[in-house]
Amino acid sequence: MKAKFLAGAAAFALLSGAAYAQDLKFPIGEGAFNWDSYKAFDEKYNLDGQKITVLGPWLSVDQELFTSVIAYFEAATGADVEYIGAEGFEQQVVIDAEAGSPPDIAVFPQPGLMRGMAAKGQVLPMSPEIVQWTKDNYAAGQSWVDLVSFPGADGAANTFGFFYKVDVKSLVWYVPENFEDAGYAVPTTMEELKALTDQIVADGGTPWCIGLGSGGATGWPATDWVEDMMLRTTTPENYDKWVSNELKFNDPIVVNAIDQFGAFAKNDAYVSGGAGSVASTDFRDSPKGLFASPPQCYMHRQASFIPSFFPEGTVIGEDADFFYFPAFAEQDLGSPVLGAGTTMGLMKESETGRAFIEFLTTPIAHEVWMNQTGFLTPHKGVNTDLYGDPTLKKMGDILLNATTFRFDGSDLMPGGVGAGVFWTGMVDYVGGKSAQEVADSIQATWDSLQ
Amino acid sequence: MEQFFGAATTIVIGVGGCLLYFFLTNLLLGRIFPASGPNISRNINRANAIRPWLFLFPALILLALYLVYPLFWSIYLSVMDANGREFVGLYNYQWMVSDPKFLESMRNNILWLIVVPAFSTFFGLLAAALTDRIRWGNFAKAMIFMPMAISFVGASVIWKFVYDFRPEGQNQIGLLNAIVEAFGGAPETWLTHEIVNSFLLMVVLIWIQTGFAMVILSAALRGIPEETVEAAILDGASPLQLFFKIKVPQIWGTILVVWTTITITVLKVFDIVLAMTNGQWGTQVLGNYMYDWLVRGQDSGRASAIAIVIMLLVTPIMIWNIRNARKEMR
Amino acid sequence: MDNIVGQKSSLTWLVNLAAAALVLLWTIPTFGLLVSSFRDRDQILTSGWWQSLFPQEASVQYRAGAPDTAVQEGGVYVISGNVFDELALGEVSAFGTNSRDPAAYPVGETITTDDGYELTVNADGSYRLTSATPLEGTRGERIFITSTQAPSFTTENFVKVLNAEGLGRGFLNTLTVSIPATVIPILIAAFAAYALAWMEFPGRALLIAAVVGLLVVPLQLALIPLLQLHLKAGIGKSYMGIWLAHSAFGLPLAIYLLRNYMAGLPRDIIESARVDGATDFQIFLRIILPLSFPALASFAIFQFLWTWNDLLVALVFLGSTQDQLVMTGQLKELMGSRGGDWEILAASAFISIAVPLAVFFAMQKYLVRGLLAGSVK
Repeated sequence: MKAKFLAGAAAFALLSGAAYAQDLKFPIGEGAFNWDSYKAFDEKYNLDGQKITVLGPWLSVDQELFTSVIAYFEAATGADVEYIGAEGFEQQVVIDAEAGSPPDIAVFPQPGLMRGMAAKGQVLPMSPEIVQWTKDNYAAGQSWVDLVSFPGADGAANTFGFFYKVDVKSLVWYVPENFEDAGYAVPTTMEELKALTDQIVADGGTPWCIGLGSGGATGWPATDWVEDMMLRTTTPENYDKWVSNELKFNDPIVVNAIDQFGAFAKNDAYVSGGAGSVASTDFRDSPKGLFASPPQCYMHRQASFIPSFFPEGTVIGEDADFFYFPAFAEQDLGSPVLGAGTTMGLMKESETGRAFIEFLTTPIAHEVWMNQTGFLTPHKGVNTDLYGDPTLKKMGDILLNATTFRFDGSDLMPGGVGAGVFWTGMVDYVGGKSAQEVADSIQATWDSLQ
Repeated sequence: MEQFFGAATTIVIGVGGCLLYFFLTNLLLGRIFPASGPNISRNINRANAIRPWLFLFPALILLALYLVYPLFWSIYLSVMDANGREFVGLYNYQWMVSDPKFLESMRNNILWLIVVPAFSTFFGLLAAALTDRIRWGNFAKAMIFMPMAISFVGASVIWKFVYDFRPEGQNQIGLLNAIVEAFGGAPETWLTHEIVNSFLLMVVLIWIQTGFAMVILSAALRGIPEETVEAAILDGASPLQLFFKIKVPQIWGTILVVWTTITITVLKVFDIVLAMTNGQWGTQVLGNYMYDWLVRGQDSGRASAIAIVIMLLVTPIMIWNIRNARKEMR
Repeated sequence: MDNIVGQKSSLTWLVNLAAAALVLLWTIPTFGLLVSSFRDRDQILTSGWWQSLFPQEASVQYRAGAPDTAVQEGGVYVISGNVFDELALGEVSAFGTNSRDPAAYPVGETITTDDGYELTVNADGSYRLTSATPLEGTRGERIFITSTQAPSFTTENFVKVLNAEGLGRGFLNTLTVSIPATVIPILIAAFAAYALAWMEFPGRALLIAAVVGLLVVPLQLALIPLLQLHLKAGIGKSYMGIWLAHSAFGLPLAIYLLRNYMAGLPRDIIESARVDGATDFQIFLRIILPLSFPALASFAIFQFLWTWNDLLVALVFLGSTQDQLVMTGQLKELMGSRGGDWEILAASAFISIAVPLAVFFAMQKYLVRGLLAGSVK
């Protein structure tokens, strides 16, 4: 190890045990990265011999990418960080924490789960510095802090999470050349989108591919639709109330949003395979219709991760592209954006764990990942030119142009609702039940949880 | 490699240790209550009263720690709130009886309990009887056994493809719809048709469990003393008579064991439902509903209450077993 | 004994046919998976596996060489190539350039595209795109092809799974878990089953019923209290812990199956041994154990299968770091965060099925009573 370190490391690496320098993705000091932030961190900490584990839901590609970020922390501090990607993350983190052997840090895909575990005292509060830093340095900082602030075991409110890596959900995917062939233009308002939908039907095509199937999680893609529709038919304040159930699930406002989704999904002519196939089509298969010959559909509304399920070799921005899922022009609600993100939670007290969270506030921890692929950040201090591909930058722009940013509501609701009856209710809805009926039964479950 | 030696050592120590335990305790028992001397009959009686417990001891310890203790833990949790913090009495049970999804699960479970064990045992018996009489029997057995070797999740994927739906006019990739189309029918979204879909899910479990039934029943069939079979043949019994009148009654006990075991597997099943429909479109079953509340609903109270119901459902089987055991003793 | 009565042959035929039908019915879904494991993801999702065995007509999209690959030939810019360099081999029957009408032109015809280029596609897949002016854009022209494709398969899925990092380690871990977890419960259960079958003591019936009752305790609920127990007892997350857990979870079924089998053994053998002065320990070792071999073998198969395919118990009691991960865990990771890679699942299912099947074949001869008949008589 010593030999390699001599060969590869820059001079300042002498300050700490840069045992892992050889694994670094980008050589320190090169490129447009914010190396100053790395150096400052490097000088601040020396954690030789310390070891922490991070448990998270990222697997395969994401796991490699995150590990490439971790390598810089290891190089800077000499600590050893083991990332464990778990297929059943939710289950495992709950069992480990209950049994008393949690990881040092857990990467929560949903704040809802974190809320439950914080209430049991299984997650430690973030330090005030980190909270203040988030408020100051993240775009819409306060809202990120609010999402992970909830009562702890003692009942006192605290901030338990730190957001790292966000996703944009309000995207409609399409094949530009198919639009070209048919002479369609990208719609910029919901009215135009609806007109385009009718136009495609009139031309003998099928506008949408929608699939809600997802094994044990069947139904979730519909919750994203409904949340997007909520943001486009009512105020962000009402959205927040809906998420906390101050606004009842069976309120006419919510029922209307569900029906707005139904206007697309429950119309046989609008959906590839007919409304009957929506619930059973796997969400991973549904975008394939865009690429069929002749196309089985022209548009697909899904979050930024979906290109991994496009046919092999598809180039985003060329073979397939996306546009912002537009808002109604007649409703004065600006351009709302629905998103999601992963948040770090400290499960055990340790200097290294706290240092790792602090490391994630440095620009370099964001730039290393964003320069590769699949990473969006609200960090205002990063060099956005480093986004690995123009698509990410375009998504970043959607994030920046948002007049309202709201977090995936189903992730914030109690698990029994947001990851339970909301999903199943949406399946019942596309299966033929009325929006009112479904909303009533979801509200009934929510009541029973109190 | 190191861990492999570790495992090998464990096997040796484990197996040797077990044998040594049984041997030594047995020896000790013989020393304390020698089957000789003045109190010979009292000693023999005492030794006989203790010996069964020596045989049972390791099993009982493991069962108590790993199954009975969690069982009581579950009963305790079922009267607590979602976090296991506060006592809520029978609230979770009250919630259950008024919950439509729970009632649906009960209804489906009863269907499953009737259909799956019956068909699995029937096909298992058929497979065992047929494969025992043919030259390529071992190969046939392996083929029918194969689904057992695929994990539940793998099996679910296989069958999801069988039931897959593509709109009319597109290439069907699901075998079932392809067959329906070949006969001039219209493709269906099979998994969303209530009642029908429950049966389609049962098919998956029957497909898996038949291998289990076949292996056990085949061993039992081969265990029938040849004299009785030969005697029946000499008496001129036809092959069918031979099978139903001579062989089946002889392995009746095993058939019931297979039936019971599959019944219990059915009560616990959740992977198949979880992977294929997650209990939607009216296919929920208790096993999956419990899992749902445990992992997704984060409510250990409700999950435990459902688990208790699953265990109560098995009571009739237990009673039946007690009766059977008594009968055997007489 | 088959040929004692004369008209056996028709029955033999019937039995063979019925067995064949049953086997076919049972293997078709698995066979579908096997075929699928040799196809890539797009193939799996666009056509049925049975179709892949025969040539089939398909409508696919091909992208011609990028504009910057054009060569100048006598004043015109030319891009030429063969669509089958990328697509599965076949014969083109029609082509088009507009997604709305993908089979607009017969092969061999020269047509003018929307962008003003001239295009010809031949039946053998060769194409030629010409333009008087330099071609624009960064991506090649889309050509829609209707072709009859020969069956095509790939071993890539298997290569990917077998080359996966840590798979060998996972394999070793799985073996380390499953062998002791199969052998230990069998031994413990055999003793207990003997006591429950052939020894008389008060509470026997109740114990038998309790064992059956324990069969139904749902594992999921047991995980948290047991892991706590392991941590308190100092076992923590280790092989010892998982061996104990698997052994205990397998015990009820083992005891139940074995007791039932042992209870069915001929009473006179055991009685006469007792009369001869044999102790219970001797009877068990010398008579019961050998006679119960078919039952032991069948339980061994099932317990091995269960520990081999298990993921949940391993993740909880062993942990999920790279060093601790069992094979099922490795395979799950390969399938990615959203688990959509069915071709990987298909291939890995066949790789992980191999060992249990080998065990089944190896154990099968012990399922046969004939081998042991000698020791009975």
